[in-house]
Amino acid sequence: MNETFRAVTRWNVAVVLAAGLAAAPVPLLGQDAVADQDSARPDPSPHSAAALIAETRSVQPGSSFTVGLQLTLEPGWHTYWRNPGDSGEAASITWRLPAGVTAGEIQWPAPQLISFPPLASYGYFDEVLLLVEISTGSQFGAGDSLRLAGRADWLVCIEDCFPAEADLELTLPVSDAPPGLDRLTAPLFEAARAEIPGADSSWSSFARFKEPWYGLKIDPPDALGSVMGSDLSDVHFFASDPNVIDHAAEQSPDWDGETLVIRLARSGFSAGVPDTVFGVLVTERDGAGAPIAAVKISAPVIVAGNPAVEAETGSGLGVALLFAFLGGLLLNLMPCVFPVLSLKVLGFVEHSQQQPGGAARQGAAFATGVLVSFWVLGALLLVLRAAGESVGWGFQLQSPLFVGAMAVLFFLLALALLGAFEIGISFTRFATDEFVKVPSRTHIARNPTARSFGSGVLATIVATPCTAPFMGAALGWAFLRPPAQTMLVFTALGAGMAAPYVALSLSPGLLDRLPAPGRWMETLKQLLAFPLLATVVWLAWVFGLQTGVNGLTGLLSALLLAGLAIWVGARWGGMAAQQPGKAIARATAIAIGGVALLILVRAAGSVPEPGSAPGAESATTAWPEWSPTAAGEVLREGRPLLIDFTAAWCLSCQVNERVVLNTATVRDAFREHGVTTLRADWTRRDAAITAALAELERSSVPVYALYSGRGGDPVLLPSVHTKEIVLEALETYVPVQR
Amino acid sequence: MNRSRISFWTAVATLFVGAALYSAQEARAQSASPTIGEPAPAFTLPDTYGTEHALADYRGEWVVLEWLNYGCPYVKKHYNSQNMQGLQETYGGKGVKWLAIVSSAQGKQGYYEPAEMNEMSEQKGQNALAVLLDPTGEVGRLYNAQTTPQMVIIDPAGTLLYNGAIDDKPSSRPASLEGAHNYLAAALDEAMAGKPVSVPTTKPYGCSVKYPS
Repeated sequence: MNETFRAVTRWNVAVVLAAGLAAAPVPLLGQDAVADQDSARPDPSPHSAAALIAETRSVQPGSSFTVGLQLTLEPGWHTYWRNPGDSGEAASITWRLPAGVTAGEIQWPAPQLISFPPLASYGYFDEVLLLVEISTGSQFGAGDSLRLAGRADWLVCIEDCFPAEADLELTLPVSDAPPGLDRLTAPLFEAARAEIPGADSSWSSFARFKEPWYGLKIDPPDALGSVMGSDLSDVHFFASDPNVIDHAAEQSPDWDGETLVIRLARSGFSAGVPDTVFGVLVTERDGAGAPIAAVKISAPVIVAGNPAVEAETGSGLGVALLFAFLGGLLLNLMPCVFPVLSLKVLGFVEHSQQQPGGAARQGAAFATGVLVSFWVLGALLLVLRAAGESVGWGFQLQSPLFVGAMAVLFFLLALALLGAFEIGISFTRFATDEFVKVPSRTHIARNPTARSFGSGVLATIVATPCTAPFMGAALGWAFLRPPAQTMLVFTALGAGMAAPYVALSLSPGLLDRLPAPGRWMETLKQLLAFPLLATVVWLAWVFGLQTGVNGLTGLLSALLLAGLAIWVGARWGGMAAQQPGKAIARATAIAIGGVALLILVRAAGSVPEPGSAPGAESATTAWPEWSPTAAGEVLREGRPLLIDFTAAWCLSCQVNERVVLNTATVRDAFREHGVTTLRADWTRRDAAITAALAELERSSVPVYALYSGRGGDPVLLPSVHTKEIVLEALETYVPVQR
Repeated sequence: MNRSRISFWTAVATLFVGAALYSAQEARAQSASPTIGEPAPAFTLPDTYGTEHALADYRGEWVVLEWLNYGCPYVKKHYNSQNMQGLQETYGGKGVKWLAIVSSAQGKQGYYEPAEMNEMSEQKGQNALAVLLDPTGEVGRLYNAQTTPQMVIIDPAGTLLYNGAIDDKPSSRPASLEGAHNYLAAALDEAMAGKPVSVPTTKPYGCSVKYPS
């Protein structure tokens, strides 16, 4: 016996001593040792050892008892859980049992996360005891002995892996007396049982699936919730099925009130979404990362974007398209777009006089330009979302660089309209040609269609900063639909925006009723520069909130230099200029423009000084700042809560705050109903807020979430609301206790 | 004038696209799997003889990618049993371009200098068209290669048709080959017969790909 003994237990003499005394594990050398790198070692169980041990000293006929496969590993080596994770293989036992004896499934202790970025495994280090329940028939009688035999297969890995195997057997006497515990092994079994996660009905859970994430929501029992506290670094969810979640993805556990929210990425190899996500939640670990406390979780999956959501957002696609079309029409009146498009109309006036009939073709080209641009924007967003981002419409305004670039573009357009650099200047001539179609017959004749297409593209580009503040919520909603429908909504929006011009270009009667071209066009052109400059002011405000006073100064300097560059380039580098000064002037202009760009990029990268965070000014309500913890605290105390999801660049947010939320009536009502108010400011990119919005199945602001304080999902107030709506909602959902 | 118009448009387009791309980059993309039914990610890798192979070179051909690590017991199961070589021969005979890719980092299991790799391939009777070297793991990550072996099918139009396990027996024991359902062969047979692939993705099994740490 001693020989086999040594073969088994190079690593933990004490344990195997216990095992050996108890039941004499007898490993037999495996025949087909695939084990090592090309047969250098015939060892069937490299870097590890296995033993089969029993908890009791005897077996009672017709009863069941527990045995354990004990795997002992060299330091630093690991073996795997039932779901090994991205690679590896769980241990298995192939039993050879006498008739009438059956073995149950392996009962797996909670695993540890073993990270090899970009991959991750689930497993155990050092030593693990895998428990198996054995049931016996009554065909055994006292005095018989029961022989359990089996082959254990496991994989032992450090980063490289070795398959290991051992033939094990265990013989126990059969006795009518109640079986006595084996003094040496019983403590091991007791310890192992403590590590096996149990199902606990006081933990309720469900998972909300929205491609590509599962939002796993778990309500721990009250007592445990407070023990877990705010440090969730020990918390990890281990999925039981190898092909449900991405094992290596960050899970970012966080509290949402009393609910623990864990974000699980869908496995890239899974074909669908299961009805239930099974797994183990580890809530506490020791210093080495081994689990101390764990519970079994089976979370039913609710797929977002299902009929329930559609019913809530109402109506069919038809209504959505109608509203998108009307929204597109309205877009023409926005300060970003109105000047550009008014000038386009003037272009029609001019053009229809020169070349009757060509207007229709130009109208069509312009509409195509608008539509194609909207499709590109829609597709870009869909691609981003497919890449796993929960971005919503308006996300572009969260990037200071984008905001700054738009400010520069609007500034230059305004300069061009004002005719700031007029004579012989290519840029201005371009701009005026483009917008006003001042007589330049040859030019128009050369490529009018392409230019109209270009105007359409330009109109859409300048419209983007205005769509976000006015239509962010609507477009955010559109992204909850399947991609094809999202694109249809974008199409309707573009069609709406292009419609007036197409109508105009198709009906010469309408064109005739416009005043004849003349000096008034020049005056109007200059007047229209001012809405553009107003847009610059607004963009600069947003940029300032995102980057602080230094960033804002950088943007203004960039505007100054951009203006200078254009002026230099146009004054001395234009078509009319003389060689060789022209080349030098152009180089200078490009150099100044380059400096402007550098300054802009640097400014966009700066961060507001502490104390002047966007939260301090971007909204008109002086509400405390939202955080998952702050919200969780309020809800845990069972108090009603209103969260205002807002952003500086969202104009309807600003209007709601000014006209409704920050009025005396509404403030008093909040006080009377005991509602705590928190503001989540999405002016800058903020992952926590994006996640919170996704929870509410929204991807844009404004969102107003009212929690009753009695648990349950929040009520969402309409994104354009009135005092009456708010007061009514308070009465309904948060009645005053009298 | 025309040129200045073009340069103006170029400037506008650059600003806009640049800013959009910047925002997109800020929206840090997750390491997602390449999508089945979409164009397979493009790559160019040298083989063990120094010849560059671009996926685009194989447009118009059926392509199989096999993630390979000669030191991995799961790979050995398929090579020592001649299972892999058999598949390579069968489908190679039908015109499939079979590329084995080694994404092991230098110094890690499965990494060999080209000459040594050729020796290994010789010994194993490697039947792939080429063994490509990807020691940075870049192409491995592009295809979300998690294990060796892991199999990918790309159709003549360059569309990704299958990404996953070679078969349904996630074990290193040679005996597990018996009665295994080969996902790769099933998917190739369907696709080459003009039918849709009924199981386009499965959880790959085996050793972890030894990416640089």
